[in-house]
Amino acid sequence: MAVYEKKYVWSILLRLFHWTFAPSIFTLIVTGLYIHWPWTNTWLEGSHQFTMATMRWIHFIAGMLFTCAVLARLYLWFFGNKYERVWDFLPITGRNIKNLFSTLLYYAYLTDHHEERLGHNALAGTAYFFTILLAIVQFLTGLYLLYPEGSIFTSIGASLFGTQQEARFIHYILNWYFAWFAMVHIYIVVWNDIKHPEGLISSIFDGFKFAKKEQ
Amino acid sequence: MNRSLFMGGIPGTMSRRGFLRACAIATAAMGLPMEMVPKVAEAASDPKRPSVVWLQFQECTGCSESLLRASHPDVATLILDLISLDYHETLSAAAGKQAEENLEKAIERGNYVLVVEGGIPLKDGGVYCKIAGKTAVEILKRAAEKALAIISIGTCASFGGIQAAKPNPTGAVGVSDIIKDKPIINVPGCPPNPENFLSTVLYFLTFKKLPPTDKFGRPLFAYGRKIHDHCERRPHFDEGRYAEQFGDVGHRLGFCLYKVGCKGPETYSNCPVIRFNDVEVWPVSVGNGCYGCTEPNFWDTMTPFHKRLPNVKIPGAGEGIQASAGKIGKAALGVTAAAVAIHAGVGIAKRLATGSKSEE
Ligand code: HEM
Ligand code: SF4
Repeated sequence: MAVYEKKYVWSILLRLFHWTFAPSIFTLIVTGLYIHWPWTNTWLEGSHQFTMATMRWIHFIAGMLFTCAVLARLYLWFFGNKYERVWDFLPITGRNIKNLFSTLLYYAYLTDHHEERLGHNALAGTAYFFTILLAIVQFLTGLYLLYPEGSIFTSIGASLFGTQQEARFIHYILNWYFAWFAMVHIYIVVWNDIKHPEGLISSIFDGFKFAKKEQ
Repeated sequence: MNRSLFMGGIPGTMSRRGFLRACAIATAAMGLPMEMVPKVAEAASDPKRPSVVWLQFQECTGCSESLLRASHPDVATLILDLISLDYHETLSAAAGKQAEENLEKAIERGNYVLVVEGGIPLKDGGVYCKIAGKTAVEILKRAAEKALAIISIGTCASFGGIQAAKPNPTGAVGVSDIIKDKPIINVPGCPPNPENFLSTVLYFLTFKKLPPTDKFGRPLFAYGRKIHDHCERRPHFDEGRYAEQFGDVGHRLGFCLYKVGCKGPETYSNCPVIRFNDVEVWPVSVGNGCYGCTEPNFWDTMTPFHKRLPNVKIPGAGEGIQASAGKIGKAALGVTAAAVAIHAGVGIAKRLATGSKSEE
């Protein structure tokens, strides 16, 4: 019987990031889609109930939390622990490029070989990396939409994305990226948790994973 | 006023084209699809269409005045082409005895829509409003007998209006408080938008029945939505930008008029959409809040006109959503900076303590 030992993998800051990021994305998708398509209008608007205003308010607050979470993750890319830094999971080293392809084969049920590693596998890491990049685009377009006149976000937004409408279009398209990402992410995490006794899901709560003890 | 400034090419007497245009505008105001325009035009030009008898009681003639300001369709063409007005005290050429005879003849002929302008006093036998020796109640009851339907134009005829305001010295009431056995529709407002009145008439001519109404008997197509929910200043309301007093910076910048007494949040009407007098204005667009004049008893319930309505929640915890979200954002940024600083501090302290770089 294999013996396992507890390994500390995810720092408190990373877990804080995750639990700010995930619920804020959920909230932003729900409220964002309402802003896009206010389906209760007009039977919920009135002087005692401002549904659109409330949805936008929640969206903006969640957007602020989302932005802060992304900033914290950016910090951890460079100053986090071994598993949290970018070069641990980006396919920029020989080890990670190999891992990227083996993970693809493994997820496609083409091989049972599975490299034991405590941090992200290179496929997940790459996906997370691009998700953070897109999150930056999302909060920049969001802040551009929120402060359309004479702010630093106006200049950044205008130079990166063009008009408000173009920024809004990008912001809306990325909504679907985040919805898709959330779905795939949860599916793959559950799948991995079922296939492996490393404690993947609990690790994002308590920070610990389980690794086979070398005997 | 030189109306030609605003006529926008509408001829004084109505061409076929102008007539169709008027029908199209009324059809749109009723919320009907454009396919209905020929139907409306047909009904409006049907030689057997009902005529109109127009009674005036406790009123200021403001409703008739506002109708005279309507140029789609212009009042002359309205009278001659769209509705045939058999009796109207202010507009008819006849006066005195002759006018009374006209009214009696029109009533005897029947087949008319009765339009009532003004409140009707009931106290002391109705003596406070008399025409040709008859009280307003008597005249109303007589004219209502043979009416196909009754349209109460203005808040006075609809709900009693200013003379019914507390303490209502003459015991004034609206038409529907007296007449119970006829279809009645209320087109309130002080004055109401002529467009809504014309559309109601045309609806009746087209469908031979009155349009659907809300619980106050007002046509839904015109009074179905809250002013506040389609006001052009609404984004300012949501963002917490208000004129705090008349003439201040916020007022000059066109901010929301809620705090200087706008009653839009409690008032149902299409004013922001239909607007007035063909110059595309309505009170809020020219910097004065809505007085709530389409609501029953607004003289009692909506005054003082320039004090803010109580119990209206300002979105974003009372500060406007952008402002309060910005505040929360700054706080969140502060917390993040603190968290990162603690993380970095612990990292450095560990390294100093153990002399190693590892953080596992
Ligand atoms: C995962 C993150 C996010 C998602 C999924 C999301 C989704 C959306 C969607 C679907 C819309 C409606 C776009 C449309 O009208 O077609 C929207 C609008 C908007 N979002 Fe986001 N959003 C996110 C993050 C943010 C952030 C970080 C901010 C900035 C604080 C932000 C600020 C805004 C603003 C200002 C609008 C326009 C609201 C308006 O038109 O009144 N969003 N968002
Ligand atoms: S309070 Fe008046 S001015 Fe302000 S948004 Fe509402 S209706 Fe418009």
